[in-house]
Amino acid sequence: MTSFRVPLEGSLRYRGREGQWAYLLHRITGLGTLLFLTVHILDTSTVYFVPSLYEHAIALYRSTPFMLGEIVLVFCVLYHGTNGLRIALFDLFPRFWNESRQRNAFRWVLGAAIVLWLPAAFLMGRALIVHNFLGG
Amino acid sequence: MTTPSSTGAVGQVRRVDVPATWETRAWVLMRYSGVLLIPLAWIHVAIQDVLVGVHAIDLDYVAMRWATLGWRVYDIALLAFAFAHGLNGLRNVLSDYIHPAWARRAANILLLAGWLIISAIGAVAVIGGVRAP
Repeated sequence: MTSFRVPLEGSLRYRGREGQWAYLLHRITGLGTLLFLTVHILDTSTVYFVPSLYEHAIALYRSTPFMLGEIVLVFCVLYHGTNGLRIALFDLFPRFWNESRQRNAFRWVLGAAIVLWLPAAFLMGRALIVHNFLGG
Repeated sequence: MTTPSSTGAVGQVRRVDVPATWETRAWVLMRYSGVLLIPLAWIHVAIQDVLVGVHAIDLDYVAMRWATLGWRVYDIALLAFAFAHGLNGLRNVLSDYIHPAWARRAANILLLAGWLIISAIGAVAVIGGVRAP
């Protein structure tokens, strides 16, 4: 396990500023999304293979912890997308690359991801309260 | 692997010749599939998670959605691009922690097998459609 712990501790201690945060968040959000995606492909597949199991999977997704996880998942997808677009733009058009632009771009990315996420988080949070706490 | 062909002054873009290996193609494909996934995945998330919501989703809802051929094509595209992009991303992450050539090869084979099997399961379900419980 040391081979995983050392780089993780190093990542948290390393003072790489914006570039380091962008990289770390990109990895965490990407791996988190992939974990859900794998489970999601399999749970959706039950509609064909074991249809009676699908209702159980959906019942689990309707529980409060999973709905909170869903709100986090949407942030992961939005951040990974906006930051990925930044990476693709700078990689495909390297003439835009310089340090201050990179730093600014990361701040815009984080801002854009949060601005896109807030209305989604509001609607999903409202659905969670209405269905799981108000009996709607 | 890459050799600088010329080194420009500070602030100039340094040009390097990149050999066209599978690794280079995978790198380029990650950029293009990533850009494509922004509309593809975001529209999916906006509709299913935010607007419809998990409390309105059940077997009937999936059957109703897949009654439109366009949505099946959409879901197949999402399955193909998102899962390949995700697993190749995992392969990149693992290559930071797994160093021996044999172990990397083993990880690659496992990821490839997992990708083929889970993609096939998903594709069969999308094409087969919803069955009565």
